[in-house]
Amino acid sequence: MIHLEHITKIYHPDSVALQDVSLKIEAGEFVSIVGQSGAGKTTLAKIMIAEEPPTHGRVLVGGWDITRIRSHEIPELRRQIGVIFQDYKLLQKKTVYENVTFALEVAGAPQKRIREIVPQVLKIVGLEGKAHRFPVQLSGGEQQRVVIARSLVHRPKILLADEPTGNLDTMNTHDIMELLLKINHFGTTVILVTHNREVVNGLRRRVITLKDGKILSDLAQGKYVL
Amino acid sequence: MITLWRIFIASWKNLTRNAWIAIATIFVFMMALLSVNILLGVNAMLERVVTLLENKVDMTVAFEPATSEAIVNQARFYLTSLPQVSSVRFVTAAEVLTAFKIRHADDPKGLAALDELNGNPLGAQLVIKAKQSDDYPFLAQAVQSPQYKPFIQKQTYDDHQVAIARVREVSRSVRLIGAALVAIFSLFGLLIAFNAIRVAIYTQREEISIMRLVGASSSFIRGPFILEGLWLAMLTLVFSAIAIGLIIIWLEPSLRPLLDGEDSGLAAFFVGQWPLILLIEGGSLIGLTTVISWLAVGKYIRR
Repeated sequence: MIHLEHITKIYHPDSVALQDVSLKIEAGEFVSIVGQSGAGKTTLAKIMIAEEPPTHGRVLVGGWDITRIRSHEIPELRRQIGVIFQDYKLLQKKTVYENVTFALEVAGAPQKRIREIVPQVLKIVGLEGKAHRFPVQLSGGEQQRVVIARSLVHRPKILLADEPTGNLDTMNTHDIMELLLKINHFGTTVILVTHNREVVNGLRRRVITLKDGKILSDLAQGKYVL
Repeated sequence: MITLWRIFIASWKNLTRNAWIAIATIFVFMMALLSVNILLGVNAMLERVVTLLENKVDMTVAFEPATSEAIVNQARFYLTSLPQVSSVRFVTAAEVLTAFKIRHADDPKGLAALDELNGNPLGAQLVIKAKQSDDYPFLAQAVQSPQYKPFIQKQTYDDHQVAIARVREVSRSVRLIGAALVAIFSLFGLLIAFNAIRVAIYTQREEISIMRLVGASSSFIRGPFILEGLWLAMLTLVFSAIAIGLIIIWLEPSLRPLLDGEDSGLAAFFVGQWPLILLIEGGSLIGLTTVISWLAVGKYIRR
């Protein structure tokens, strides 16, 4: 599904974010990428969604070489990978319904399909009663649910969650992780980028540990080892 | 088609949900447009004043008292036939005398001296208006043709020559300074509008990067911003037109007494020139908002 070959990312000669990182993530896996701040987790996530190009190496997503992806091809890639961020990245001037709808509108989905899918995904994330609220009127956990709903409307094969619980309390963290597991259960590959020890240890799934831009360990049923 | 409709709807929602930014931007656009239009109005008004002054200039040919009316009429027909002449008015000797008495009503000694003379010592006059003030020197020579020269007592064009020259000088300066000021204010207006668009888009830079992250193409992101710019430009044009109309309605009656009851030419200028003004100002504003929106949004569309 995702194949990284000898990825190196150098921002400045004295700032190397990733060094010769290679890994394979198969379809349907739930992978946690862990590491301390500055280990290169977020850079790795950005390379996977083509937000940053690697300095060296090759990135394949579903057989598509996105290493030197052209600007006009990026929207197509983003519609195939659902992305969840710690700071939600919701459109503040749009309602919950419009935020979710927007992801379908940009792909040119017909109105009929939008009317069918959006209520369904809002129901999955438990926000069917708050569709016409603006993000500012929601709690952190609810905002993260909107982001998940938005990322699900394309039925993506890959869901990349970059610190999705970073701004949430224990209760909301638990709910969001349950939701991610449910999404994975239905066949979506989930990549979780986090430094939350409890979350990672509770999952008992594959854990890739990064340190100083290199892979320290890659364990099938790993734990947070740092 | 469906995408165009969504872009249209998104642009309108953006405009209404960012109402304060929209109002501020329209206000700045209006200030820019009004400053240019006020200068255009002042320029038009000054030109009108120059025209009024030029219209006041004429040449009076006074004939000897003994000149027969037939000769004066002959001279009148001759002058009227010249292409440089706008009009020739025949003032009879009796009318000249009446006008003289009215003019010297507060000069009893002068009037008493006039009464002592037998008959009317003043001759008939022709008041000539040229089509252009440039034509007066030619007409002054034309009047002095050998056929009429013996009957002419005096001609008063020389008295106006300095005034005409000054009026022409003022007119030239007004046109030159006015054009320069309009050009400078247009440039300032464009810079102000340019900055207003950039600020409006800067405030939404985060939204733009999010749109890209969820898979929006560059054109889908740019479309609503460009259309929003067009909404703003069109609303500005409408509000500016209303503001200019109100200013003219309010100002014209106050200006009339200053111009001897003549109209200031402001309304005539804007009514007559509005298609050209709309084309230039509207075209510039719409062109500017489109180009700047395109560039400014592009700045925040990252990978």
